[in-house]
Amino acid sequence: MATIDLRPLLGAAAATADEITQAIRSDRTRLPVLFPSVPRRTGRDIVGGGVRDFGGHTVDLDAFRRCDVTAAHVLLATAATEAEALDLFAHGDMEERAMLLRALHFLPVGQLTVRLFGEVQRTNVALHLEAALCDGDLFARTVGTPGFDLATANKLLLKFAFLDVPLRRCLHAERHANAELSRMLQDLATEREAAGRAVWRDTWRLIGRAPCPGSLARLVGGLEHGDDGVRLAAAEGLLAANRSDLAAFARERLPRELRAPIRAVLARLGGTTTS
Amino acid sequence: MLIFEPHIHMYSRITDDYERMSLAGVRAVLEPAFWLGQPRTHIGTFIDYFDTLIGWERFRAQQFGIHHFCTMGLNPREANDDRVNKDVLAVLPRYCEKDSCIGIGEIGLDDQTPAEEKFMAEQIELAKRHNLPVLVHTPHRDKKKGFERCIAIVKASGFPMERVLLDHGNEETIKITRGLGCWSGFSIYPNTKMDPARMVAIVLEYGVERMVVNSAADWGVSDPMMVPRTAVKLEQAGVPRARIEQLVWQNPIAFFAQSGRLNESMLRQPARANLRETFDGNSVLRGQDPDKM
Repeated sequence: MATIDLRPLLGAAAATADEITQAIRSDRTRLPVLFPSVPRRTGRDIVGGGVRDFGGHTVDLDAFRRCDVTAAHVLLATAATEAEALDLFAHGDMEERAMLLRALHFLPVGQLTVRLFGEVQRTNVALHLEAALCDGDLFARTVGTPGFDLATANKLLLKFAFLDVPLRRCLHAERHANAELSRMLQDLATEREAAGRAVWRDTWRLIGRAPCPGSLARLVGGLEHGDDGVRLAAAEGLLAANRSDLAAFARERLPRELRAPIRAVLARLGGTTTS
Repeated sequence: MLIFEPHIHMYSRITDDYERMSLAGVRAVLEPAFWLGQPRTHIGTFIDYFDTLIGWERFRAQQFGIHHFCTMGLNPREANDDRVNKDVLAVLPRYCEKDSCIGIGEIGLDDQTPAEEKFMAEQIELAKRHNLPVLVHTPHRDKKKGFERCIAIVKASGFPMERVLLDHGNEETIKITRGLGCWSGFSIYPNTKMDPARMVAIVLEYGVERMVVNSAADWGVSDPMMVPRTAVKLEQAGVPRARIEQLVWQNPIAFFAQSGRLNESMLRQPARANLRETFDGNSVLRGQDPDKM
């Protein structure tokens, strides 16, 4: 399994990580005993260092804790099997599960990733959705893996809308926009509006990338919303839709928009600026 | 007044209990692993139960602002059951390292059999390996002799007495435990074991050093409000508030802080309560609007 050297990120936790790794190598039954102790023994401080690439794995280290990286290091260094990792998840507490899901970002994509994404989908725990899917490109790298086709991926992205987690935290997820996802998001938006509840702002951004019937009307309607964030998302969605026939509409709408960031997007959409 | 309830089986209680306890000042609970009223016949049921103690039950408590901790162990009743006892000992180490596990227990004696003694001694060794204190269940029948036997087993193991809480004590056992350096627990029941009035008498005579009170509430006739009720009775009897706080808050924290996994400052704030959250897809709401709870 070992492909990434995480040891330089461990800092003062390196000696503890070595001790844990050695103990597990000597006796595999120590893995489920030692894994829960990792946060206590290595600390929960943020690793830091911003967005980094690890041999094709993109991770924002400002959102990863020392114990998360230590857990990944231990799993890699001991060549933990899929069965062992699944056992850790099944009998872990909430934090252990989150730590394991964080560690996934550093492990090769495979059936373990797919199985644990399935757990995230099934359990609907915000902490675990964030741990598995946010602050890295793991989701984007996993789409297409056997067992994780676009239809399955759509269900996970829909969780972002349910839990109101900004899509930008799931790096490159927007690349997997598709018309069926747009339909699902629009149906949810309609339900929410009927209940007088807020709609996930990224709905407008995603449906613009892959419109389905009704998307254009929702995007244009979004430009009249009272919430600045919704108007900005709608404008960005329209821009992503790349419809030259909307340029005249954008130019007509521009003078009535007061917010500078939204005006900038409308100007691009209207063809009056290019950046 | 903040309260740490150091022995309660919330697994068998309803959310109303959590709400009442929270309103009465209970900020943290300790749930010892115990038996379930009827024998378990295979190890899988223990594993699921232990997972519940670190999972769903902890989540439930947090929804009411209550910190939930547990002790892990093979209870003395089922120590006698060869269908499960050895297997439980085999799975316990992983649970002993969970963050919310702050002790080994409840272990001890019930019928006072050789098997109970064997597994009690083995679990004291487990406590040594995981650097955890021990919560000891003492027998309800032939209690004095059982107390003395529990103490003898602890002494034989060389386990430090200050890391032992001998529970379910009464007016007779306090005479035995006072000079040992161990901690004494008193389970306050509505009708049996100890009651608040008797506990007041014990405090007036012996003070509150190395002493805790609990409800030991479970699925039988018991009352999860017994610690707050006892605190009220103590105040009415003229016990200084500082001594009452020591009994119901500082003492249990001091004992279980020996695990290295909790301290008073982390308990000063209520547990994170977000009624919109779920655990494994489940919540305590049953369709209710969280904003109206």
